[in-house]
Amino acid sequence: MNRTEFYNQLKERILILDGATGTELQKRGMPKGVCPEDWILKNPDSLIEIQNAYKEAGSDIIYAPTFGANRWKLETFGLEDKVKEINVNLVRLSKDIAGQEVLVAGNLSATGKFIKPFGDKTFEEAVNIYKEQVEALLEGGADLFVIETMIDIQEARAALLAVKEICDLPVMVSMTFGEDKKTLTGTDPVTAVITLQALGADAIGCNCSTGPQDMIPIIKEMKSIASVPVFAKPNAGLPVMKDGEFYYDLNPEDFASFLGDFVEAGINLIGGCCGTNSEHIRLLSLKSKDYKPKEWLEHRISASSSVRKTLFIGRDTPLRIIGERINPTGKKDLQKELLEGKLSLVRKFALEQQNKGADMLDVNVGMPGIDIKNTMIEVVENLSVISELPLCIDSSEPEVIEAALRVYPGRALLNSISGEKKKLEKLLPVAAKYGAMFIALPLNDEGVPETAEKRIQIINEILEEAKKVGYGPEDMVVDGLVMTVSSDEKAAQETLKVVEYASSVLKTSTILGLSNISFGLPERSYLNSAFLLMAMGKGLNMAIANPANENMMNLKIAGDVLTGRDRGCRFYIQHFNKASEEIKLQAGNFPEENIKSKIYNAVLKGEKEDIEEYIKMALKEENAPYDLVDDILIPAINKVGELYDKKEYFLPQLILSAETMKKAFDYLEPLLLKENTGQKKTKIILATVKGDIHDIGKNIVGLMLKNYGFDVIDLGKDVPKERIIEEIKKTGAPMVGLSALMTTTMGEMKHVIDAVKEEGLETKFIVGGAVVTREYAKEIGADGYAEDAMEAVKVSQLLEKDL
Amino acid sequence: MDTKVIYFDNIWIEPPMDKILYRLGYRKGKTILNKEQKEEIEQLIWEGVSLCKPKGAYVIVPVTAKDESSVCIGDYLIISKSLAQLLKNSDYVALMASTIGHDIIKVINNEIKKGNSVKAVTFDSTASQIADKTVAWVMEAINKNLKREARKLTSFRYSPGYGDLDLKYQEIFFKELNLEKLEMSLTETFMMIPEKSVTAICGVEKIEREEEVNE
Repeated sequence: MNRTEFYNQLKERILILDGATGTELQKRGMPKGVCPEDWILKNPDSLIEIQNAYKEAGSDIIYAPTFGANRWKLETFGLEDKVKEINVNLVRLSKDIAGQEVLVAGNLSATGKFIKPFGDKTFEEAVNIYKEQVEALLEGGADLFVIETMIDIQEARAALLAVKEICDLPVMVSMTFGEDKKTLTGTDPVTAVITLQALGADAIGCNCSTGPQDMIPIIKEMKSIASVPVFAKPNAGLPVMKDGEFYYDLNPEDFASFLGDFVEAGINLIGGCCGTNSEHIRLLSLKSKDYKPKEWLEHRISASSSVRKTLFIGRDTPLRIIGERINPTGKKDLQKELLEGKLSLVRKFALEQQNKGADMLDVNVGMPGIDIKNTMIEVVENLSVISELPLCIDSSEPEVIEAALRVYPGRALLNSISGEKKKLEKLLPVAAKYGAMFIALPLNDEGVPETAEKRIQIINEILEEAKKVGYGPEDMVVDGLVMTVSSDEKAAQETLKVVEYASSVLKTSTILGLSNISFGLPERSYLNSAFLLMAMGKGLNMAIANPANENMMNLKIAGDVLTGRDRGCRFYIQHFNKASEEIKLQAGNFPEENIKSKIYNAVLKGEKEDIEEYIKMALKEENAPYDLVDDILIPAINKVGELYDKKEYFLPQLILSAETMKKAFDYLEPLLLKENTGQKKTKIILATVKGDIHDIGKNIVGLMLKNYGFDVIDLGKDVPKERIIEEIKKTGAPMVGLSALMTTTMGEMKHVIDAVKEEGLETKFIVGGAVVTREYAKEIGADGYAEDAMEAVKVSQLLEKDL
Repeated sequence: MDTKVIYFDNIWIEPPMDKILYRLGYRKGKTILNKEQKEEIEQLIWEGVSLCKPKGAYVIVPVTAKDESSVCIGDYLIISKSLAQLLKNSDYVALMASTIGHDIIKVINNEIKKGNSVKAVTFDSTASQIADKTVAWVMEAINKNLKREARKLTSFRYSPGYGDLDLKYQEIFFKELNLEKLEMSLTETFMMIPEKSVTAICGVEKIEREEEVNE
């Protein structure tokens, strides 16, 4: 059966799939723990009985029992050398049962391994594993393919590509969702459909997961955006235990009673998964004749997807911002990182832009000195996991684009395809193969046309070519091509004409890279913002920009309201209400009358940068250093402590204030010494005990103690007691702080305290760490216990008084 | 049951903002933050998130023998009453490990050295919470696979160093899971590097009562 015949049949009626195979084989004596595929070949009568029953019950398509017959799964049973033999023979067996009137689907499922970007296997390895199976299934005579029970969108993509690269038979893909309606790797039903239909799945569905009742809403969601048929294979309800045996709680009548709701939700094919048998299928088949299936959407939805999110793009959606920052051009830090093979900044830029309101991330790694293709793959894989935003693959190299689209576990936007003949010929088929949306750039081999008319002509030519490989206007985003207005005063108008034409005549999406418009002019943000709003008025629905530009983002949100893309002004209200609430909070700041209150407030608010200046000014006004410490700094830091105790301040504020205080102290210290009070800082030794390597908490305690005026001697981690004793003797430190994170290492604290006492030293001990308790501190003879860094300061100050 | 090691090289963990802030002492309704402070701290948290690279691994291993105070897992004998008690209904165990990588730990230590303690504590809190959620994610992944076989993990998990499960058993996890592959290593005293890595063991049990097996 070819794909057209497949679609034609589905337009006429609901096709009936088969029911469970695994649970039916178990009923017929298949022991647990064996390789089902191998067992069937040794006990073919069981399968013959099961599939004959499905055929008689009315199944139009039965699945060959090759669910786990891929090399990685068969390896578990030592059968990896029999991939071909097992698959060919099993399909032949099913074909013999099916005869002429029933179709046999070659069945592919999870490999049991996880592939990149989630696991350790490469995407290509997975594609090859599936290709090996697909070839054998074809040799066996499969009429079509089904990829089922998939919990990872990337593995589903690998299987789908494997089929598409080998043959042109119909291929159905079915995902399994958890209670949260997501796959294990976080893909929701809508996102799965957007990604898989773009990649060429001929039907998309859901199997296993759950019983019919909970599957209906999933199917409904899928159908709402599906431009291919949708199918369902629910379990026979929920598994329950009775007399030591499992069974599923929906009998065939109850199971089939959900058919009407499934049809209403939009199924075009239906069958059963775990717990169903031929009677469930017989009733489904019987009832299905009363229903006419709903058709699927004629055109694809204009949307891009990541692993975890779908981004709808259209004239009714808010203007979509594509974050422009992941591009090494003009960014020395990023260039250095990419040269060193690091991706920290890429990850940072991605999350920053996401948090600032970007809807998509442009990814461009073009720079000299690196392997652009491999860097692009690595960046795409990294970003696919760390950011939920879909990616816009930005490159001028066709092989880089293909490599990125191949491994990207979503539906990307390709930036860009121009009217240049060679690029058009090379890139359109590649983009179409992976189902990417693409940006059409109105320039050709002659360069960038100045007038809108010529640009429109190129756009039309690109669209015509795109239609030949299966694209429609909903898949294309027209770039109006922004030229600088300082060199051509008509530049803005020409671009706007292109935007208007594409949006209103071609009905495509449109995009602009805003900042070019103002090149060479002062105060560029005014021009950029004004241009953005004018273009929005002409139908612009995407812009490449830096979302950190707050002014532009606020204008965009306002523009969305005025162009009718923010229903009920919902986003506008949400955004600006939040902003005004935050400002209100800020209004409760402290009075700033004179230099003393400025110093006080600087400590209170942790204004490290300003404190030194304020201290200098106060000294100029002839305030004595000691007065500044006693009358301002100490009351201020005490107030901070008080606020922290009341939980009105949290740790970062406390630290900032302490650091500000320290900076003031550091400046005043030489002056205080001149006034000569004879006061010295108290020494305190800090150590993470022997055997323990965790010292972040101890380091923070050290910093806080320093900020509060202690002389901290930090011995580091994994410190033996002998070293601590040596340091006490050497420095005369009267206090030691010990830290341990593990139950297994906290015992060492007692050994240290005992050893110090045995040496006759009168050192005071403060202990702390994740598992250390107040009771334990007492038990081992410590003088103090601190739950956190602030308490460590307080306890140290108390102990200091007794020295 | 599949007894091959499964590796997750790239786990996405949604940063639990509330928990990260709570660990830093933030109390909703009490702690006063102005707009800039809030943005600054959130930015720091996201910077911390960008430095975390959560990874995980697990393997299902048969319990070959057990009594009240010890269990044999594959070829290894483990003496631990509490583990034996946990595994009383299990024929298999899941050995698992997770890590958030070296980068964030290095940066935390560097920031401390540079005196940027606000950054260091914020990263530390972020890293701790992400590490907690990573091991929970690995457990969830195992459970999702086990449900198909009407099995589940025990609700409790043990880690070497807890209760009477000696820290020396860390070696079993490193050998069985080949944790060098996740760039993890062990010190002589069985501490894991990088910090905030977790190893844990759970029993695999049949779902005995009328419980929901499906997802």
